[in-house]
Amino acid sequence: MLKLNNIEVTYLNVIRVLHGVSLSVPDGSIVTLLGANGAGKSTTLKAISGLLHIEEGEVTDGSIEWDDTRIDKKSPEDIGKLGIVQALEGRRVFGHLTTEENLLVGAFNRRNRAEINRDIEMVYEYFPRLRDLRKNTAGYLSGGEQQMLVIGRAMMATPKLMMLDEPSLGLAPMLVEEIYEIIKRFNDEQKTSVLIVEQNVRVALSIAHYGYVMENGRIVLDGDAEFLKNNEDVKEFYIGLSAMGDKKNYREIKHYKRRKRWL
Amino acid sequence: MADLLQFVITGITVGMVYSLIAMGFVLIWKSSGVANLALGQLVLISSWVTYAILVQAGLPPWLGVPIVIVIAFCLGWLIERFLLRPLIAQPILSLIAVTLGLSYFLDGLITFIWPWSVDALPRLFPQDTIHIGTAVVSQEYLWAAGISLLLFTALTLYFKYSRMGIAMRATADDQMAVQACGIPVTKIFSRSWMLACAMAAIGGILMASIGGIGHGLIDTGMKSFSVVILGGLDSFLGAMIAGPIIGLVENLGGGYLTALTWPGIKEVIPFIMIIIVMMIKPYGLFGEVRIERI
Repeated sequence: MLKLNNIEVTYLNVIRVLHGVSLSVPDGSIVTLLGANGAGKSTTLKAISGLLHIEEGEVTDGSIEWDDTRIDKKSPEDIGKLGIVQALEGRRVFGHLTTEENLLVGAFNRRNRAEINRDIEMVYEYFPRLRDLRKNTAGYLSGGEQQMLVIGRAMMATPKLMMLDEPSLGLAPMLVEEIYEIIKRFNDEQKTSVLIVEQNVRVALSIAHYGYVMENGRIVLDGDAEFLKNNEDVKEFYIGLSAMGDKKNYREIKHYKRRKRWL
Repeated sequence: MADLLQFVITGITVGMVYSLIAMGFVLIWKSSGVANLALGQLVLISSWVTYAILVQAGLPPWLGVPIVIVIAFCLGWLIERFLLRPLIAQPILSLIAVTLGLSYFLDGLITFIWPWSVDALPRLFPQDTIHIGTAVVSQEYLWAAGISLLLFTALTLYFKYSRMGIAMRATADDQMAVQACGIPVTKIFSRSWMLACAMAAIGGILMASIGGIGHGLIDTGMKSFSVVILGGLDSFLGAMIAGPIIGLVENLGGGYLTALTWPGIKEVIPFIMIIIVMMIKPYGLFGEVRIERI
């Protein structure tokens, strides 16, 4: 169980980007963190995985707890050893390595060669396309394949919590659906908790159990996936569903804009 | 014609020692992107350390040489831990400047401890010369070439198949993503410095047993730079092939052109060749081309 209690994050000691974020990821659940660009979603993930320290950022207030131990001062490798793994935004494969070598890097902290080989098979089971590409240079894979590889690499660490940063970025809608199906299957079968940062609200809420909406470094809304899917504001601002065809009342739009800022 | 064979054999074998030292440079460059400018000084100081252990302390080579290598490992660890680690996440130029500072420090240290600045190592290899065709080659050259080839093979396999080797290559691609996988990059950096120093030490021992200890060994380091640049900064294969090329050019040029031009042309020719190669192939002969998908 991951718990963020009211954390504040400051970069370079002056730029505060998170102003009191609280959220929790119960064991075995899929939680999604939604919001526009610059809302602080990726920063939240980096705060959890410890990568923040590398970017001269720091959790200046509040605490991050994993199974009741504080991890906000720990280094990324210690956090990794606790079973929290993050797949960075933007399909960051190791371009000059082959597909299989990429997966092996994901298993760096494990020693048992037999188990590693079994898990490589497991990843190929989830992403059959990667099996055909095992000897190919990762830098030349297509965008979708690279995303699959990044997720597969995260799976190789046998995580208890897998954090994915915008797995849908720049992918065709069909591929996005496919990848999300696989994430859901993985969560079902392996009981791994998943925390997904996403801008594609519709697809994220299609598999998530619970969701949080972030704006300007704050959580402005949270609830069950069902609740969020039916929320008027979420529909309007994030899914882009509004009363189509109706004449829009300009005042209403202003009202929404105002509300959004206040939320 | 008799000279030709002699020049070719000497060139190739000496070149392979350059390759060995160059591979240490490639190792650091590949995993951390730092250009280690103290390469020549590391070669020199390790040959002096060998001198200290074999001559001054009088240990037999079978015991002394492994001790030198262990000391080189420690030196590499110390350099990474106390000079480079505090500078992680600083501009890369600062890191390179630190290695330059290190080179001056080592220079001073060597002059301080061994002020006579020239000496010879005891013979490590059999003395008999070997006749290859019309050429007469001393065995040391062949041993040096063999050891260099062996280490090249070992290193290539290490990078291709071992857990640490794969992680090192991954670090070269994307440090941040490596850390996201829970891998301590500091461990990777210190491992690569340790290996690089050990290779500089082996290169230093080989060169010193061939030509004696002296400031000329720093020039050997310099030539290894040219090997690295010629072969491509991030390629072991490039270093392995470019070394003999530089050795050949140097010896053939020195052998045939000295009479026609100026003395000392031998030292200059490799660098002239590099300038020409750089104009044609800026990544070096085997440098990794930046992967770009369009």
